[in-house]
Amino acid sequence: MTSFTKPTVKKKKPSKSLNAIEVNDLSFAYGKNEVLNSISLEILRNKVTSFIGPSGCGKSTLLRCFNRMNELLENARIIKGSVVVEGHDIYEKTVDPIELRKRIGMVFQNSNPFPKTIYQNVAYGLKIQGVKSKRKIDEIVENSLIQAALWDEVKDRLNANAYELSGGQQQRLCIARTLAVEPEIILMDEPCSSLDPVATARVEELIFNLKQNYTIVIVTHNMQQAGRISDLTAFFYLGKLIEFDETKKIFINPKMKQTEDYICGKFG
Amino acid sequence: MMLEKTIFCITRVLTYFILFCACFIFWDIISKGSRKVFHKEGFINWEFFTESPQTLHVIEHDGETLELSSENYFSFKRSLSDAAWKLLITKSQFKEVKERLVNNLNDLTETPSPSSQKNLLHDYIENEKKEAKEKFNFWLDMLENPSNHASDFEVSEEEMPYLVGRFIIAFLNQAKSKYKLLDNELSYFSALHYPKIDNLTPTNIEDINLAYFNFLNENLPKLWNVFEAKNKNLRERVVEFDENPSTSSFVFLENNFKSIDEVQSLHEFNSIDLLKKISDDLRWISSSFRISVDSKDYAYSGGGIFPAIAGTLLLVGGAMLIALIIGVCCAVFLSEYGKTGKFLSLVRLSILNLAGVPSIIFGLFGMGLFVIFLDWNVSLIAGWFTLAFMILPVIITASEESLCAIPQDFRESSIALGASKWTMIKTSVLPYALPGILTSSILGVARVAGETAPIMFTAAFAMRSELPWEGLEKWTDFFFQGVMALPYHIYVISKIPQNEYTIDMQYGTAFVFLMLVFMLASLSFVLRARLRRKFNW
Ligand SMILES: Nc1ncnc2c1ncn2[C@@H]1O[C@H](COP(=O)(O)OP(=O)(O)OP(=O)(O)O)[C@@H](O)[C@H]1O
Ligand SMILES: [Mg+2]
Repeated sequence: MTSFTKPTVKKKKPSKSLNAIEVNDLSFAYGKNEVLNSISLEILRNKVTSFIGPSGCGKSTLLRCFNRMNELLENARIIKGSVVVEGHDIYEKTVDPIELRKRIGMVFQNSNPFPKTIYQNVAYGLKIQGVKSKRKIDEIVENSLIQAALWDEVKDRLNANAYELSGGQQQRLCIARTLAVEPEIILMDEPCSSLDPVATARVEELIFNLKQNYTIVIVTHNMQQAGRISDLTAFFYLGKLIEFDETKKIFINPKMKQTEDYICGKFG
Repeated sequence: MMLEKTIFCITRVLTYFILFCACFIFWDIISKGSRKVFHKEGFINWEFFTESPQTLHVIEHDGETLELSSENYFSFKRSLSDAAWKLLITKSQFKEVKERLVNNLNDLTETPSPSSQKNLLHDYIENEKKEAKEKFNFWLDMLENPSNHASDFEVSEEEMPYLVGRFIIAFLNQAKSKYKLLDNELSYFSALHYPKIDNLTPTNIEDINLAYFNFLNENLPKLWNVFEAKNKNLRERVVEFDENPSTSSFVFLENNFKSIDEVQSLHEFNSIDLLKKISDDLRWISSSFRISVDSKDYAYSGGGIFPAIAGTLLLVGGAMLIALIIGVCCAVFLSEYGKTGKFLSLVRLSILNLAGVPSIIFGLFGMGLFVIFLDWNVSLIAGWFTLAFMILPVIITASEESLCAIPQDFRESSIALGASKWTMIKTSVLPYALPGILTSSILGVARVAGETAPIMFTAAFAMRSELPWEGLEKWTDFFFQGVMALPYHIYVISKIPQNEYTIDMQYGTAFVFLMLVFMLASLSFVLRARLRRKFNW
């Protein structure tokens, strides 16, 4: 496995642990508003982990901490704690965020393809990484679209504008775009929020297939979905991690009252 | 109810009034301008667009008027004199005069044998010395016996040295006009001896006299060389004219004869009578074929305005390019890299204020910085930068707005796919902001094309006969030349008194200018529409 630290730094031996991501006592704030409060959890390699919790509890924020997307916001800052990916603290100065983001892909809450052609959207990540060979790009674009279960629908109109696709197709296009750069970990922020049941089923199938090769973290508001696809589930409430365990245990026998209330829809 | 009605009426009347004024102005310019832009038959007057401005010559003859631009006027005159020449050379009197002229010129330019040449030169120098000696002797006498002369010149005896000093200086100045080619040497001579002239004693005056003789001995032979060369030239012209008496060979002959003027002193020494005879003959010939055509001349009113159109297009293109590059960079910094804070607000505020600065101030600023300090002179590049600075505030503000309108999503997804900040800006922000930036820059185009004040000191020439791409020695010269420009041209021709001939030019130029700005604006609109279609979201 390649390291994402800058070459000048001595490489640590990659740990052989099962953990793809370790979050240690992380607190995070937008300005004075503390959004995450002492979170600690481990994301296991080649497993699907889902984050559930009421709106505004900080799921997206935590996800964005994993690939340092929060740096784009001026007032965002980490108060304490660390995020360790494959044995490296990613907030250390020596870490190159660009390398990091190539290895941790992200699919956003609202689908946001570029206003370009379908082909260009998928090829974007490769282009900016300097891949020149047309043949190679063609191949990867096709593979990614096949993996994202979109190939059959768009193979005849790769040069159409991405905005001519339906909302669900756009979402899958965004997934394909992320897959094209071949990350190791994929963060998905409510990828099915705007999809119909059929499209949702296809994405879920897709996630199930991806599990062999990727580590996946998914945020969802759909309890059934979390139950169907994830191996582990974390429940957040008001910036705190309330409970984190195997999905079965959380859904069948939750330890905390809040978790149970939320899952049964008694929350309000 | 009454109040409502009156307010409604007042606003309505005022609006219609403004509309009326605008219509009137446009109608005025278009109706008067089209007289120049279109022929009477309704075709476009292409010459107006393709020619340089020229002086208009109006010839009145037998109640008819003929309007000719300089070029045509001079070729008209030339054709007249050609016809007169043809008539002239058939006359027997011409043959006589020509023969005499050629003979006289041959006598004048005859090369003396080397020995007699030496004698001639020697005689000439001695003659000059003799003349000078007489003067110096007289001045010496004035100094030594002031009492004899004081009453003649109405000065006291003490003032005598001063008076003689003035005489000597006047004498040296006279020599300057006599030996035009020795101007520098004579100036040096008088400077060298000035202390002595200022403080005249009999010995000093002897010294100056001797020095002047030395000066003549040394320099007059040089003069002789020049004389020889010119003489030889003249001789060739005589032969040419003798063999083929045409207008051009005659004009050459005449000019060469005149140019010998510089060494006239040597000539006069040779033969005063001969010179007079030759001059008479020359004058006779030239007066009998040169025909004067009386005309009233109106500056800039003939020809066209092509250089001004080309200059304006160049100025607009370059200035917009520079302004867009600098402006977009600034906007990218302000909206993408800059952190919100007091400093950035201050920067934004000053940019907004800059937009309100009068254009003449930009003109002065450009003259101070580019023309004088950077020593670019009055040049295209100085104009570009001045105009660019003038519209920078507009461009920056517009670009920033366009950049802010790009959804944050584009930035985030680009970053999430592993783009660096600059790659992100380059690939998923700027292309989508460009249509907006260009749209808002249209305002800038009209302003750049229209302002006179910023270019008046930095880039514009009132008149330049060469086009910007003509006569360049190096390609860099292109940037360091002044150009003509439409707004400045209008300014220049509006200052010449208006009459039936100039008014067409003034309105025609204004008309073309309006159309040009209009066209530039529509061009940018089309460009924007295309870009919008390409990068639409
Ligand atoms: N850019 C921001 N600046 C300031 N506060 C923010 C910003 N983004 C999010 N927040 C705040 O942080 C908190 C957590 O937001 P977050 O987006 O992580 O919630 P979420 O759990 O993803 O909610 P949802 O399920 O609705 O997507 C919210 O209270 C929100 O108001
Ligand atoms: Mg969210």
